[in-house]
Amino acid sequence: MASSPMDQFKIDREVDLFTIFGQQISWTNSAFWMVISVILIVVFFLLTLQKKLIPGRMQSLGELCYEFIADMVRDTVGPEAMRFMPFIFTLFFFILAANLIGMNPYAFTTTSHLAVTAAMAVFTILVVIVAGIYKNGLGWFKLFAPAGLPAFMYAIIVPIEIVSFLARPITLAVRLFANMTAGHIMLKLFAIFAAYLATKGGITALGIILPVFATMAIVALEFLVAALQAFVFAILTCVYLNDVYHVEHH
Amino acid sequence: MPERNGQSDTPASDLDELESKLKAARARREGSKQKDEDRDNSMLGMAWRLSTELLAAVLVGFLLGYGVDTLLGSRPWGTLVGLAFGIAAGFMGVFRTAAAMDAKNADIPIGDDLPPDSGDEI
Repeated sequence: MASSPMDQFKIDREVDLFTIFGQQISWTNSAFWMVISVILIVVFFLLTLQKKLIPGRMQSLGELCYEFIADMVRDTVGPEAMRFMPFIFTLFFFILAANLIGMNPYAFTTTSHLAVTAAMAVFTILVVIVAGIYKNGLGWFKLFAPAGLPAFMYAIIVPIEIVSFLARPITLAVRLFANMTAGHIMLKLFAIFAAYLATKGGITALGIILPVFATMAIVALEFLVAALQAFVFAILTCVYLNDVYHVEHH
Repeated sequence: MPERNGQSDTPASDLDELESKLKAARARREGSKQKDEDRDNSMLGMAWRLSTELLAAVLVGFLLGYGVDTLLGSRPWGTLVGLAFGIAAGFMGVFRTAAAMDAKNADIPIGDDLPPDSGDEI
């Protein structure tokens, strides 16, 4: 059993693959669990691939998932953003699968690493920038200069808008990473405390009830957080996609 | 439609009901955005959103200013100005998000103050 609550986040290099620019690229436990979550998602949606008029259980599940994300995109951005729906669908289900896999004993939570969440967040914001410029041309940069202000205000507003735009990938990445990491540390701490009390024996061992109940409560909370953070990441991606389609209305 | 599936004995009222459901679904698909009242307005999500927004903006402002200082050798002025803009951006973001949450009955997603039909495509 791991003795430190931080041991669960340790990256193990299992196979060293090759080097790029002096950087060692390895097959790690994190990569392994990412591939596992992708396989799980693909298998799940392959099972839902049926085209009956009256859907069975699996087909209903698949349709529910589709409608959930499709409605989210339509309601927060608008029907014109449906071309980004596959992207948001992928993001949501990858994060959800990774978070839920992390709830299993001995599994590794890939989303508890800032590198993973930051990669997704930076990619998301690059999508917004590239799509925004592709669609609006250089007029997209009007996003940083809201219309109808006295001229001298722009010297203040434009840097503020730019900073607040650049803060978005950080909020996206840090929120997911911090939620997963904090939850798993709490879980481990209470579990270790319970095990520690149990080894004491005597009247002290009775105190094990408290950390065990706390652990159970945190497990329930963590399942909520796992789903909620996937949802929040997806919906904020939708909110940021608004800037592609509605430059004038910030 | 149900005839094709061998269910031609469906009562007409069921068909009417299905028809109205289909119509609603189509309207949802083609029409512009609409409010969804039943979405879970999670306090936890809102709290996280507001707090990370404030902190991240301050951090970005500070780092930008620090970077300018390193490039131009103007320490500490770039850091100070960057920090000031970062704090301003953080508060502006929080106020904006909070206003949007209020406007949408404290829901997480924002963006319902957008025009109902902008009709543009990429």
